[in-house]
Amino acid sequence: MDDTARRAPCLRFAKQKERTMSIINNALSGSLAAQAALNAASQNIANLQTKGYTRQGVLLGALQPSPNAGATAAGNGVEVSALLRFSDGYKNQQLWRAASDLGQRSQTQPYLTQLERVMGDDASSLSSGIDSFFRALNAAGVDPTSSPLRQQVVTAADAMSQHFNSINNVLNNQLLSVQQQRSAIIPQANTTIAAIASLNQKIAAAKGGNTNVSALIDQRDQAIDGLASQMALEVVEQPDGSRSVSLKSGQPLVIGSLAGTLSSSTVSGTQAISLQFSTSNFALDNATIGGQLGGLGKFEQNTLIPLQQSVADIAQQLSSKVNTQLAAGNTLVGTPGTPLFVFTFGGGATMLQITAGFQAADLAFSGDSTAGNSDNLQLLIGLKNQPITVTSLGSVLMSDADTQLVGKLGIDSQQNQAEMATADTVRNQSVEDWQSTSGVNRDEEAINLVEFQNMYQANMKVISVANSLFDATLAMMS
Amino acid sequence: MRIATTQYQSTMNRSLQLNQEHISLLTQQMASGQRVQVPSDDPISNVRLSRLNREEAIVTQYRDNIASVQTRLTKNENFLTSMVSDMHESADLLVWASDGGNASADLGAMVNSMSALRDSLFYSANLKDEEGRYIFAGTATGTAAINYDPAAPVGARYTYTGNTGQQKVVVGNGVTQTANVDVQGLETLLNQMDSTVATLAVPGVAPNDPAVRAVLTANLDGVTAGMEQFSTKIAVFGGVQNILSTLDTNHGNVSLSNKMALTDIGQVDYGLAATDLNGYTIALQATYKAYAKIGNLSLFDVL
Repeated sequence: MDDTARRAPCLRFAKQKERTMSIINNALSGSLAAQAALNAASQNIANLQTKGYTRQGVLLGALQPSPNAGATAAGNGVEVSALLRFSDGYKNQQLWRAASDLGQRSQTQPYLTQLERVMGDDASSLSSGIDSFFRALNAAGVDPTSSPLRQQVVTAADAMSQHFNSINNVLNNQLLSVQQQRSAIIPQANTTIAAIASLNQKIAAAKGGNTNVSALIDQRDQAIDGLASQMALEVVEQPDGSRSVSLKSGQPLVIGSLAGTLSSSTVSGTQAISLQFSTSNFALDNATIGGQLGGLGKFEQNTLIPLQQSVADIAQQLSSKVNTQLAAGNTLVGTPGTPLFVFTFGGGATMLQITAGFQAADLAFSGDSTAGNSDNLQLLIGLKNQPITVTSLGSVLMSDADTQLVGKLGIDSQQNQAEMATADTVRNQSVEDWQSTSGVNRDEEAINLVEFQNMYQANMKVISVANSLFDATLAMMS
Repeated sequence: MRIATTQYQSTMNRSLQLNQEHISLLTQQMASGQRVQVPSDDPISNVRLSRLNREEAIVTQYRDNIASVQTRLTKNENFLTSMVSDMHESADLLVWASDGGNASADLGAMVNSMSALRDSLFYSANLKDEEGRYIFAGTATGTAAINYDPAAPVGARYTYTGNTGQQKVVVGNGVTQTANVDVQGLETLLNQMDSTVATLAVPGVAPNDPAVRAVLTANLDGVTAGMEQFSTKIAVFGGVQNILSTLDTNHGNVSLSNKMALTDIGQVDYGLAATDLNGYTIALQATYKAYAKIGNLSLFDVL
């Protein structure tokens, strides 16, 4: 037996041993991959109820055989080529846009509803106050010298003033509440803006260090979502993994790890929002900023302030017309009439009052010097059908002014409710879209769990098979 | 589409929210009977309701005014009727006194009756209301309608000190009605009666004395004229009462149609509301059952 012939079985042995080792390695890579997949599934199940959690999964790839392993080598097993984060940037953008719209509409609705309830109430409305006053004047016509009937006019005038004052108070309180809410949102937003910038920095750093940043990204997306409900945002993904956030109107809030700061200042009763970014300062528009802040601004500018002006217009013109007409007549004792109402602009609880010490006998109903004459009273009754000029309505009949004002308020509120319903639907739809991609499905994870467990066990079986092969080879050698 | 587990939860939540919101609104509507709870529920209907309510309020006020004016007119009518009957009595006396066959003492005996009737008329003319204001003084309610001056010569002691101003009451849109009446003209009659009393009180008065007859004739003419004047006023009251009743009926019809419109626009259609409520209740129950079933479904249960 020559040397070559003697060494041939030896070589085959070596080859066989190598192949058995490769089976074991493949099985090992498979079991490791299965473990990684099980690990991802367990993380997903653990975060089944975590808000904003983006599900993860392993991407498996087959490994090529070693270059000199020959044509019959199957391959070097499996590798976890990536840990996938199931996320769709477009769906995030949609989510944030919907959050701004919903924030804007839902922020103002409670204010509108409160106004409607107070101004539309049959008992507390301006209309009922004005109607009662003119009804009392009408009743006095039956017997213009009767003290109880005259007293009823003074009482109704006082009650009407209270209607005006209490509604004016509600409007003032709402104005105050809008400003307080704005003051409360701004520091919250600043905290969020700073958090986004800091997360940007952490994410960029961790990416360099080759760490899974999925949880950090989730956290940042949640923060952006919260900020988006407060103001309308433009979010741009940067190559280093950070996100630049700016207002829809273009002013930057976050660039990389740099954060801007919002602030509000009150100048002569009006609140203004400004943004400080690095060394630049931007003045922002209260209404077009969008989100909750924009909703507050729009409500303040388009509803609250005009409404307050309109109520004051009605009170001012009604009182001045009544006072002027009274001055043209004579009282019970034949003296010229004195003013019944005192109007104070912006007076809050004392916007409209009756003159202190005004007596029933002071009502100047008489058109001449005789007590029983009621010519001036007829003219007072006629005031109801005279036109007055009201901000946001134009020229309207005095008796109908409040009806139209409340009608307009109702339409505004209805429109806001319709837009809120739309925004709500869009937001729900975008949340569902987002969940469809990123949300965890329990049953899916159960299947993953079973399948990867099977994979793991199969690989273990492979090792045991390889082991017995190895044992058989060794036994032959001995 | 891939469904995440939490999507079931949010869908369920939304469905519950939606149904409960509708059920709450329907319950509120059914409890109050009002379809429009806040203006935004139906802004246009709300404006119509507000205007109808205002019109209804003013129509109610017109009807109240009509009732008050009618009461006042009835009262005035009663006073004037009693004055006219006083005049009737004095006319009877005067006719009797004008009989030339009377003895002087008979005429003297009439003085008491005549002065009682004169004073009664004077008292009636100066009637006051509950607040001490003169009813028959026109709009000069602070002064007596007729003033008596004992210092003046007989035949000029009574003067009318009221005026003929009218108190207008609004009883409809642009419709006014006079609610007062004055007694101007009565002072002439009172002066004539005063002269008669003075003439007849002279002892030994001769019924056929031309001067006496002249006084009596003038007074009789005056009474006749006065009765005619006051009867005319009473007749006008009757006419006004009829007009007011017609107006009141008209207002009543307007009010009825207002109320029907208020019901049509503002009231809940209970049949419809009950059906809707039933629908939402069924939907809610179905959602509960669906959640109970789907919530229990899990692959983990069979592993």
